[in-house]
Amino acid sequence: MTDTAIAASALGKRFGRRGGWALRDCTFRLPAGRVCAVVGPNGAGKSTLLALAAGLLGATEGELTVLGTTPAGARARIGYVAQDKPLYPQLTVAETLRMGADLNPGHWDAAAAERITAAGDLDPKSRVRALSGGQRTRVALALALGKRPELLLLDEPMADLDPLARHELMGVLMVQAAQHGTTIAMSSHVVAELEDSCDHLLLIGGGRVRLAGEIDDLLTAHARVAVPADTDLAPHTVVESRTTGRQLSALVRPAGPLPDDWHAATPSLEELVLAHLRNPEAPVLTPAEEAVA
Amino acid sequence: MSSPALRGGGLPRTVLRLHRSALLAWAVFVAGASGWLVWLAEVTGKDPNTRDLPCVGDCDTLHLLMGYPTQLSWAGDLIGYGFVAVAGFAGGSLIGRELEYGTAQLAWTQGITPVRWLTAKLALPALAVTAGGTILVLVFRWVSASPPDPSLQFDWTWDTAFMARGPLLVAYALCALAVGVLTGLLLRRALAALGAAAGAMWLLNAVLTSYRFRLWPAVTRTGPHAFDIPDNVALVNEGGDGDSRFATYQPPSHYWPLHLTETAIVLTVAALAVLLSFRLLKHRTEPSA
Repeated sequence: MTDTAIAASALGKRFGRRGGWALRDCTFRLPAGRVCAVVGPNGAGKSTLLALAAGLLGATEGELTVLGTTPAGARARIGYVAQDKPLYPQLTVAETLRMGADLNPGHWDAAAAERITAAGDLDPKSRVRALSGGQRTRVALALALGKRPELLLLDEPMADLDPLARHELMGVLMVQAAQHGTTIAMSSHVVAELEDSCDHLLLIGGGRVRLAGEIDDLLTAHARVAVPADTDLAPHTVVESRTTGRQLSALVRPAGPLPDDWHAATPSLEELVLAHLRNPEAPVLTPAEEAVA
Repeated sequence: MSSPALRGGGLPRTVLRLHRSALLAWAVFVAGASGWLVWLAEVTGKDPNTRDLPCVGDCDTLHLLMGYPTQLSWAGDLIGYGFVAVAGFAGGSLIGRELEYGTAQLAWTQGITPVRWLTAKLALPALAVTAGGTILVLVFRWVSASPPDPSLQFDWTWDTAFMARGPLLVAYALCALAVGVLTGLLLRRALAALGAAAGAMWLLNAVLTSYRFRLWPAVTRTGPHAFDIPDNVALVNEGGDGDSRFATYQPPSHYWPLHLTETAIVLTVAALAVLLSFRLLKHRTEPSA
């Protein structure tokens, strides 16, 4: 066992020899047992990162270690659900689960998989092509959880679910994480969707890691301040600042204690994420990485 | 917990489950074409009304269509060009659709490596294609060995008769499978791969058919009577005039060397396609080290 679920160093992926870089120079560490939100705008490289970790794509450069080994070596211990929830339309729900048992010999938990489909009132005999988007998500999750993964990679898992199903399936995932210590990395471009359930954040923008670390650590490392417009914010790192009249509001990374009259407040996760995405030149912060180094 | 014997069986079982309708269609095709050939030999060929073309020139169409020679050429073309359908299936349904809709990735994130997945996707259809193709070759050989009338003996240079009396037919089907898999992996789109694979195999067959009788040293006749070549040969080339005439041709005795040379070429293309498929898959799914 290793206490690191995913470790990337200078990881890069380019599609085609002359294509653009989908990911470049990504270095981060995701500790085992965490529920990690992989956040970023559309096209930021979230899906590429998850596909690399799932062993579906080969990295162009850099190192990627998953569960202490290569992504391909960890294949049997990783659950993965792709963004469009691919399933074989011609199979029934029961046949799909039987396929999971056939393709995961020795470590398939049929009862767990069936519990998830049964909770959604899915008829085992109905064909996958006849299912709704939410029902497909449920079957895809059952397939991913049935193999009892140590690491679960979910690409936009809740995108096509109604609020009720989203709440319920998120509950299933949280129980999984709590009972089996499963590490979960799930991507979304909706920060609010993940704020309550995740304890770790990986913010990706423009193919690079912008922020990585425990959400609490990241929030306390930043402060939202409101000061007169002519205030010098040095030596603190300014992520974003905006002047309105004689007022300057800024999101800063304090280098030391802030003066009392700066009205410092802890930002919300959404403010933190948006400020970093709006300002790509803001320095990268990966506290977990620094703690290791 | 499953027994070790069952452990290896999961992937083949899954591949069969996914492609059972294709397997059923192939079985129906082999049984239907064999049945048609046997019917032609046993019933149509023995009925005086249908055993031969009823007339020459001004013919009653229905009788023409019912006749043994016409039907035999159809049945022959059906099995002779079955490989085009195999190519379309391999490119479209077997590989292209899986990559287009991401279901291949679904299999690869179960306990199955992409290489094992591709191995199963090649090996199981190859077994079915070899078994079915062998049956068709045996039935065709049996039919061609007993024509209803000596005048209806096959012309050995007829494309279908040339292919279907030996392993060349099976080789084309296996090559179609390999080329289809490669196109599916390259294009990653079901419909595009279906069309491209069928087109590529049709082209390969057309090229080999036109060079077919040049694949083995031909017999050459020279002199003023060079053009008086024997019956039942495949003329390769002729020319000259007066006393310097020449003709090169393949006699029927060259059938097997020609047939086996073409078989070897087709199987080499198949092996190359398989090799490229694995290299392409590895290149996509493994780190570029």
